[in-house]
Amino acid sequence: MTFWDTLLYDLFPLIWSGMITGCLYALGALGLVMIFKCSKVVNFSHGNVAGLTAFLVYGLSSGVLLSLSWGAAVVVSLLCAVAIAFLIYSIISPLVFESDLTSTIATLGFGLIAQGLTLVIFGADIVALDLPIPRFTVSVLGLLVTGYDLTVLAVAVVTIGTLFIVIDYTKLGIAFRAMSENPFAAEVCGLNLKSVHYFAWISAAILGVIGALLIVPTTFLSVTTVATFMLQAFAAAVIGGFASLPGSLVGGILVGILMNLFTFYVSPEYSSTFLLAVILVALNIFPNGILQKVGGSRV
Amino acid sequence: MMQRLRGLGATAAPIWVLTAVLLVLPFTLGGSWTFMLGLCFANSIGVLAVSMLVRYGGEVSIGHTFFTALGAYSVGILDTRYGISLWASVPLALFMGVVFGILFAWPSRNMHGIYLAVTTLALALAVPEIINNLDALTGGYEGLYVATPFVPGIEMELQRYYVALALLLAATFAVARLRLSRQGMAMLLAKTHPAAADAFGARRVWARVAVMGISGGIGAVCGAALAFSGSTVSPGGFTFWQAIFLLVGSVVSFYGLSMPRVLIGGAFVTLVPQLLSASGAWIPVFYGLALLGMILLGHYMPRIQKALAREK
Amino acid sequence: MNSATNSLRGEQIALSFGGIKVLKGLDVEFRPGEITGLIGPNGAGKTSLFNCLTGAYIPQQGTITYAGHSLDGLSPAARAGKGIVRSFQHVALCPDLTVNENVMMGVARNYSAGWLNAFLPLPRGRKEREEMKRAAEAALTDLGLPDVGDKMPGELPPGMQRLVEIARAVVGKPSVLLLDEPAAGLNNSETRDLMKVLRKLTSTDLVMVVVEHDMDLVMSICDRIYVLNFGEIVALGAPEEVRTNPEVVRIYLGSDDDE
Repeated sequence: MTFWDTLLYDLFPLIWSGMITGCLYALGALGLVMIFKCSKVVNFSHGNVAGLTAFLVYGLSSGVLLSLSWGAAVVVSLLCAVAIAFLIYSIISPLVFESDLTSTIATLGFGLIAQGLTLVIFGADIVALDLPIPRFTVSVLGLLVTGYDLTVLAVAVVTIGTLFIVIDYTKLGIAFRAMSENPFAAEVCGLNLKSVHYFAWISAAILGVIGALLIVPTTFLSVTTVATFMLQAFAAAVIGGFASLPGSLVGGILVGILMNLFTFYVSPEYSSTFLLAVILVALNIFPNGILQKVGGSRV
Repeated sequence: MMQRLRGLGATAAPIWVLTAVLLVLPFTLGGSWTFMLGLCFANSIGVLAVSMLVRYGGEVSIGHTFFTALGAYSVGILDTRYGISLWASVPLALFMGVVFGILFAWPSRNMHGIYLAVTTLALALAVPEIINNLDALTGGYEGLYVATPFVPGIEMELQRYYVALALLLAATFAVARLRLSRQGMAMLLAKTHPAAADAFGARRVWARVAVMGISGGIGAVCGAALAFSGSTVSPGGFTFWQAIFLLVGSVVSFYGLSMPRVLIGGAFVTLVPQLLSASGAWIPVFYGLALLGMILLGHYMPRIQKALAREK
Repeated sequence: MNSATNSLRGEQIALSFGGIKVLKGLDVEFRPGEITGLIGPNGAGKTSLFNCLTGAYIPQQGTITYAGHSLDGLSPAARAGKGIVRSFQHVALCPDLTVNENVMMGVARNYSAGWLNAFLPLPRGRKEREEMKRAAEAALTDLGLPDVGDKMPGELPPGMQRLVEIARAVVGKPSVLLLDEPAAGLNNSETRDLMKVLRKLTSTDLVMVVVEHDMDLVMSICDRIYVLNFGEIVALGAPEEVRTNPEVVRIYLGSDDDE
C-alpha cells in the first residue's frame, strides 16, 4: 500500500468518523458548559441522567415499561429529562449561591442516584435500542458515508444551530449571555438568576438526551455506556475552556478525532489514559481553552 | 472556634479511649467483623487522604483511587512476585504515592476548584485501564492475593486487623502533627490567602505540590492497608465509583481529620455496601442520598440552629 | 552610618496595562528611619507603585533597589527573604490558624526544620515551634495585644485584626515594611491606636512605606509624603509642605469637599 492509499483508506475515514462522534461529544459538552457558564457548577450527573433517559426510551418503546411508538417514547423521555433537570436544580439552588464546589459535589450525589435507579429499574444487562435511522451507504470521493453519519450531522447542526439562535435572539438567551459575563451586574439590572439557571439546566438536559440517543446505535445500551460517553464530553468541555460554547464544539470534534486516531494507530486499551494526557497537556498549553488564544469568543 | 482547630486534628482524650476500645475489640468479635473493621480502618485512611486535600489544599479530588491503587499494587506485586512483606512494601507504597502525587501536582499546579476536580476524574478513569493492561505485573482482572504475614507466627486474621489499625493511627497522628508544624501552617495560609503566603516566603506552587504529595502518600498507604487487610488486590477495588465513594466518606465525616471523624467516613464507605449487599442496585442510590443529605444538612444546620436559638 | 545607602529606591519606574500608562517613569526613595506616605486620588497609581515594590507587578521599565542591590526579577517570596514584607488592605489572616500561629508565619522563613519534623514529634521541630511562638507573643505584646494569642482571628474586631497583621509583618524584624491602607475599615479610636503603634515601630534602620487614604493618619505619622496623580509625582515633602502645596490642594485635598 502506498502512502496515499493509507491516507485514503485509514486516515480520512478515521477523521470523518471521529468528527461524527465528536459532534455528539460536543452536544454533551455544550450542556456542561451552559450550566457552568451561568451557575459555575460542573454537573457530574449529566451523563447518568442522560443514560437514565436513554433507558427510559428503551423501556417505553420495547414493552419493558410500556409499548409506545418510538416518537412518543422519545417525547415522554425528554419530558422526564426536563423534569429531572428541574428537580435537581431546585434542590441544589440554595447551594449554588453559596459554594460552587459544594454544589458540584452535590451533583455527584444525583449522578449516583440516577445510576442506581437505572440499575434498579433496568438491571445491569446490555440492551439493544434500535432507532429508526436511515440505513444506506454512499461513497463520496472514496469516503464511505452512512445514513447514521448524516443523521448525526443533521441533528447536531439543527440542535446546535437552534441553541445558538435561542441564545443570540431570545430574551432568555440574552439574559443568559449577560449573566455569564457578569452575574452581579445582570442581577442588578433586574434579571432573574434562577430562571436563567433553569433555562441552562433544562437546555443541557435536552442536549444530553439527544447526544445519548445518537451515540447508542454505535454501541449497545448499558448502565455505563452513556456515562462513559459523557466523559469524553467532559474532556471536550475542558479542552474548549469550559466557559466557551464554540470552544466546546471545537473541543468535541477534536476529542472525537484524536481518540479515533489514537485507538487506531497506538492502542485501543489506553484510551482513558490518553484522554487524561490530552486534558493535562491542553490545560497547560491553553489554560483558558483552545479558542481563547485565537480571539475572544462571543457566545 | 476551638472546635475548628480540633477538627483539623488535635489530640484529645476520646481518641485514646477509642484506640483502647479498638485494640481489644478483636477478642470480643467474630472473625467476619474483625475482617470488616480492618477494611474499615483501611478505607478511613483513604478518607483522610481526601479530607486532607480539602482542608490543607482547598481542593476536591474525585480520583484518589489512583493513589490507593498505587499503594495496593505496591504491596500486592512485592508480595506475590517477590515474597516481600509489608516491611518493605508499605514504605515503597508511601514513596510511590508521594512521588506520583507530586508528578500529578506539577502539571496541574495552576488549576483550581472545578478544573482540578475534572482532571482528577480523568486520573481515576485511567486507573482500571492501566491495571488491566499491565496484567503481566498486576494479574489483570484476576488480581493478586496477599498472603505473606507481616509478623510470622501470629494469626493472619489478627494481623489483617492490627496492621490496618496501626497504619490508621500513624496516619492520623502524622496529620495531627502537621497541623502544628511550620509547613502545615504555611499550607493553610496559602490555601486562604495565597498572596499573603507568598509575601512571607511560602509559595503557592510549593504549597500545592506539597499538599498533593502528602495526600497522595496517605492515599497510597490506604491502598497498602486495603491490600493487606482485604487480602486481594483487583481492579474492581479501584474503579471510578470507588473514588467517588471516598469523597462521599469525606463529606459524610465533614472533612474531619481526627481519627474518630475519619473512622465515621471509613465505616460509611465500608459498611454501606456490606449492609446493602443483598440489593446491590440500591447502593449507588443510597450513597447519592447520603451525600446529598449530608451536604444539605451542612447547609441548613446553621440556619436551623439559629432558628432554635431564637425561639429560646 | 550613612542611612541613605540602606534606602529603598525606584528609578524611572514605568508600568502600563494594555496601553494605559499607570506609572510614567517615577523616581522614588524611601529612607530608613522615616515613615514615607504615598497618597493621591483614586487611579493615581499609588497601589500600582506599591505592588511594584512588593514584586506583585513587574514594571516594564526602571529598576528597584534596596541598599544598592537590585530587586528586579525577585518574586514576593524572594523579597520576603530579603526582609521586605508587607501588610494587606483586606486583612489576610488565615481563619484556620490561631492569632499566635498567624503571627508565627512572619518568622517562618527563618526556620528550616524538614518534613520529618513536620510529621513526628522530634526535638528540632518542637524547638522551632517554641521559638516561633515566643517571637510571636513578644511581637503581639509590643503592639499592645498580649492576651489574644490563642484566639482565632475571626473572634477579634477589625482593628485588632489589622494590628495582628502588622505584628505578623514586623515579627521577623524586617528591613522594609510596606503597609497597604492600614487604616482601611477601622474606626477613629482604632485608627488612633494604629498610629501609636506605627510611630513606635520606627527605628533608624527600618524603611516604612504607607499607602493610605486617611489624611489625618498620613499627615500625623509620615515624615515625608509623595503625592501622585495620573502616574506622576506631583509633590514631595514634609506634611506641612504638602498640605500647603497649591497643586496638591487642588487635585487632592480640595476634592474632600465633594465626598
